[in-house]
Amino acid sequence: MSNSLWRYVKNVQAMGFKQYIRAMWYIGDAKHGKLMGEDQFGNKYYENLNPEQETPGRQRWIDFTQHDFNASQVPPEWHAWLNHIRKDPPSSDFHLIQASRPKWIGPWRENLTGTRGAFKTYSTTKPKFFPWEPKVGQRGGPSASA
Amino acid sequence: MSVLRTAMLSRIARPTARSITSTVGVHGVRTIQTTPVAAATPQGVQSQPRTPMPSDPNPSKTTTGIELANQGSNQLSLETPRNAAEYVLSTFDKIANWARQGSMWPMTFGLACCAVEMMHMAAARYDQDRLGIVFRASPRQSDIMIVAGTLTNKMAPALRKVYDQMPEPRWVISMGSCANGGGYYHYSYSVVRGCDRIVPVDIYVPGCPPTAEALLYGMLQLQRKMRKSRKGVLWYRR
Repeated sequence: MSNSLWRYVKNVQAMGFKQYIRAMWYIGDAKHGKLMGEDQFGNKYYENLNPEQETPGRQRWIDFTQHDFNASQVPPEWHAWLNHIRKDPPSSDFHLIQASRPKWIGPWRENLTGTRGAFKTYSTTKPKFFPWEPKVGQRGGPSASA
Repeated sequence: MSVLRTAMLSRIARPTARSITSTVGVHGVRTIQTTPVAAATPQGVQSQPRTPMPSDPNPSKTTTGIELANQGSNQLSLETPRNAAEYVLSTFDKIANWARQGSMWPMTFGLACCAVEMMHMAAARYDQDRLGIVFRASPRQSDIMIVAGTLTNKMAPALRKVYDQMPEPRWVISMGSCANGGGYYHYSYSVVRGCDRIVPVDIYVPGCPPTAEALLYGMLQLQRKMRKSRKGVLWYRR
């Protein structure tokens, strides 16, 4: 039932043209639901529990901020909500999550492997290779005089 | 650069707690390693011990690391074009990258238990076909090789032959600890200590065996690597 034309038309009506274009661009379906919250990076989280509109298992979804998105941009609290580990979104029990979170844990950082921000260990050994430093030799060597 | 290095080394020489933590951050590490001098200087200032640490209580000042990846680039670590010709060529590059990352056809080199996880990636739950990843049995029709499992000395010439038969551009994913570096069989007399001794490897997927999810994430990382390709621009600059 969840892929009916009627649901599609109703969702497009409900979400508006701009949201519709964005949803089709990034999600590939006119998904419409209740906005459950936003994380520190600006990712938006939606939920639609109506089984007539969304297939169970597709009831919670995310609208990424970045164009170049990947799953590691989801912070752990929201990841738990998104995968039905937690029932309530972290915006509702934020203080509980903060209290159960150890102090030594750093801020969430997405996986930057393959970019300039990638983690590299600090090495004290001499590097094995160096950038090329071109040296121009003097003209008029023994071959030029001949 | 050398000034930075000596400053860093002098800080290493007296290991107070503060100096150690300052070298742990992404900025402190990256500047010394490979970035050119012009790019390194502003970050070098940041890597002084006075700057706030990533675990600083004020979250607005902390870095997510994405700033560093986006510095001087229009995508993640992809350079901003310098002139009109580069704008055109980088657009062509993007189209080529898009086409490549949308149809990654892996050559399956299933050697051990990792191959089972590789099959799981193809099966219904993770469904690689939705990303355009289709297994091909022939090396001449594939552009990625997934080395899944222990590479023995006996198999190594065959692996290299199959790699040589693949058309350019080609990529290699090393899957599992055996393919990454020998793994459990590192001290065996008959096992290659990592398939990167035989073929150049793009993505290493850790695990013993890695889950199908991990392998799929490795494929996504390879897509990111493909997106960074800028062959046209480099040809123009040369």
